[in-house]
Amino acid sequence: MTMITPLELTLFVFVLITAIMTALFRDVLASIVIFAAYSLGLAVVYTFYRAPDVGLTEAAIGAGITTILLLLTIAKTTRPRHDETFEKINWPAAGVCGLFALVLGATMFAFPAVGDPNAPAMTNPDVTVYYIENAYQETGVENAVTAVLAAYRGFDTFGEAVVVFAAGVASLIVLGREVFA
Amino acid sequence: MSTDSSSDRPVREDERLDSDGVARQRPAYTESQVIMTTVKVVVPFVLTYGLYMMFHGAGSPGGSFQGGALVASVIIMIAFAFGIDATRIWVSNTILVGLATVGVLIFGGLALATIALGGAFLDYSELLILNAIVELPANEWAKWGMETIEIGGIAFIVAGVLMGLFFLLASGYDPEADSGHTAEVRADD
Repeated sequence: MTMITPLELTLFVFVLITAIMTALFRDVLASIVIFAAYSLGLAVVYTFYRAPDVGLTEAAIGAGITTILLLLTIAKTTRPRHDETFEKINWPAAGVCGLFALVLGATMFAFPAVGDPNAPAMTNPDVTVYYIENAYQETGVENAVTAVLAAYRGFDTFGEAVVVFAAGVASLIVLGREVFA
Repeated sequence: MSTDSSSDRPVREDERLDSDGVARQRPAYTESQVIMTTVKVVVPFVLTYGLYMMFHGAGSPGGSFQGGALVASVIIMIAFAFGIDATRIWVSNTILVGLATVGVLIFGGLALATIALGGAFLDYSELLILNAIVELPANEWAKWGMETIEIGGIAFIVAGVLMGLFFLLASGYDPEADSGHTAEVRADD
């Protein structure tokens, strides 16, 4: 068992509280703002666990672009006023969610410790070890994540890029037509 | 993508001026000295950081996906500060869809070119035939191939699609604001 540092604990509590607040607030605007804070907290968590690429994506897309798009959406639609600040908690649903979290939490003990050099994912000679040893000689880039994304798994990345493109063009066409009709 | 959207852009401007504030819940744009000044100060740094992330993704965290999102957010910030309609005058749908299309073409083009040269999909070792022009080792060619699909491909796609979604949502349910999209729709019909 490794020790949990105060920084980690603060981040976890922050992310947990903002997640719960996002679900509980009745006002959509408040939910969106707190959701942005949750994304930012999550980005810091990723960066703390040495996954800066994921952290940057979460900060740019989750905290930045998503928030802007959601804000625009409520600016262009209606935002009903509420008297009470919080949603009424649906206790059966909360119980089921809690149970589910408990079941997931029970599997946590089977995981290797964070950053454990002997974890199966780190010692796989065909994947991680191969990339770490050969990525620079074969692709000439220092960031192994980029090497995996753009070279070793380039076909997957092409598929993802085309999905983003197709989704964007499809929404332009569909929403454009809906507005037009 | 049609080229006739440039001709109906002035018409859209007039319509927008007439319809401002009629069909909306509240004005989407409020002129604010604080926001305008803040955006003016912040935008150069965000743009620089976005470009840095794009061009330096091979050597440090980040990459063109995040960099493209940051570059798109520059335009979005400008639109928030100085007016979405005013920004649309110089960033049209055609430009945005064109940006994303060029991205897919560059990415797919390079990938298919390596197949045409006898290799596999995105087989950077085929780029070695360019040694006739510049002498580089194999891993340097792989690096430049990756830079091409990252900067010319993914960054263009992400920036174009994100800006497109922003302007699309900004024109929302305002029935007067549709003429920006009709050119697209007709081109695809």
